[in-house]
Amino acid sequence: MMGRAPTTVFWQVLICVAVLALWQWGFDLHGKFPSIVPDLLDPYFVSKPTEIVDQFLVLGCFKTGLGHWNGWSNGDFGRCMVKFDNNLWFATWVTLKNTFFGFLSGVSSGFVLGLILGRSDRLSAIFQPFITAVNSIPRIALAPIIVLAFGIGDSSKIVTSWIVVVFLVFYNTFAGARSVDEGYINAARLLGASEWQITRSVVIPSTMAWVFASLTPAISFALIGVIVGEFIGAEHGIGRLIIESEARGEASGMMVAVIILMIVGVILSALIWRLQVYLLRWQQQRAQ
Amino acid sequence: MSGTAAAETRVEVRELGKSFRLNGAVLEAVKGVSFDIAKGEFVALLGPSGSGKSTVLNMIATLLKPTAGHILIDGVPTVPNKASRQVGYVFQKDTLFPWRTIADNIGYGLELSGIGKAERAQRVQACIEQAGLQGFADVYPSSLSGGMRQRAALMRTLIMEPQILLMDEPFGALDTHTKIDMHEVLLKIWEREKQTVLFVTHDLSEALTLADRIIMFSARPGRIKEMFEVDLPRPRDAVALRETPRYAELFTHIWHSLGEEFIKDRAP
Repeated sequence: MMGRAPTTVFWQVLICVAVLALWQWGFDLHGKFPSIVPDLLDPYFVSKPTEIVDQFLVLGCFKTGLGHWNGWSNGDFGRCMVKFDNNLWFATWVTLKNTFFGFLSGVSSGFVLGLILGRSDRLSAIFQPFITAVNSIPRIALAPIIVLAFGIGDSSKIVTSWIVVVFLVFYNTFAGARSVDEGYINAARLLGASEWQITRSVVIPSTMAWVFASLTPAISFALIGVIVGEFIGAEHGIGRLIIESEARGEASGMMVAVIILMIVGVILSALIWRLQVYLLRWQQQRAQ
Repeated sequence: MSGTAAAETRVEVRELGKSFRLNGAVLEAVKGVSFDIAKGEFVALLGPSGSGKSTVLNMIATLLKPTAGHILIDGVPTVPNKASRQVGYVFQKDTLFPWRTIADNIGYGLELSGIGKAERAQRVQACIEQAGLQGFADVYPSSLSGGMRQRAALMRTLIMEPQILLMDEPFGALDTHTKIDMHEVLLKIWEREKQTVLFVTHDLSEALTLADRIIMFSARPGRIKEMFEVDLPRPRDAVALRETPRYAELFTHIWHSLGEEFIKDRAP
């Protein structure tokens, strides 16, 4: 990756500080100078950084709702974790776990389907209209049906997540499998490769770049699927935490959840990126 | 027909024809082509582009299905899409797998046939030395020059020790200097292994440098126009050969015949 110039870092830090400062004191400034500062950042709706940090400590069981620190050694932290069953840590764990399974099932089934249809003119001709029709449904519209069918447990979240990921990966794999250079296939065949060997050693590697192009959006989609599923009906998870905070009119709680989601999204994308750099290392030399 | 006719026949091509359907019209690419290739013979298929010489080669390789006639390899008819184990093919276009290192590309065929890692590494190493690719075993094809890539591609085919080598303008995309380099590499290998070679080219000097016999194709539809024996002594030196009077004589003789075909090809 490219190194960042010091001035770039300077501007990035400056922007962060400016945004946080405006968020923290913007509404107070509006109160003092209503004619200059517009009424935009009402803490009732958007909270403010200090409140968010406080709420983070409460949701994370570090502090009690009354503002006392929960001790680690005296067992207060542990008791809070047990009593408050959708605490930040457990909610994050549940959401991550379901995202992971949704992503995994979506990617693997989309990949296999894309490969099969991509390499078979006959099958792709038969299934093309059905796939186009199903793909035209906004997947999120199916979430309530899925929750109805699978209940409010983990499985409905995994299925929602799967259904938004599978098409994305399917289309990319399909396009990749279609565009495999016939020259490579002929070369392999003339060196004695069987159809299965051609699939494994030529079609799959040359489709990988296409598959990876879909994985970064796929991980965000997987997370979206889980969160929407949790909005509709769940007992645990970050999405559930947002709904609970909304019900209590606590903007700070929603902001904590959103920030956690942002961090989770960045980490997951970075992991995919690392994996891609490793698996597609043969492309790097050309990219430079 | 020639001095080699008495030798064992490796490839028999009889009344071969191929027509393609193009926007409803039938295009005859190859028509009534017959020839024999003896064991260990180096034959060049020469002709202008569109004369069907590559089509003939691809039919022998079983990549294309003939619409007429048949092909026998060692007396056995070929089956479409079932390449014989003893046939090796070198493409004009670089078909090295970009996701495999040079060593893994060269060893690919051995890997397919289940040869163990140790033996594979040893044979790949020998090929890398033969091709002068030392130090490039673990790099990916994208960081090699065109000539080096084609040498690796040649080795990927030769490591399988094919008895019959089919080459479709393998050096067509290389510059003159690299091309002559490749001729030297190929001649050295062939003079040692004596494979049966069918070499498609539109370059007369290349055909003269390499081949025992030149089969000249006419412009569309591809038919055999004439055959020429290339009685230049072996072993040949790709550079010095061009200075000899016999080379010049053959070149002029065949050039006139070939020239007619190029003119015909250009005519509407």
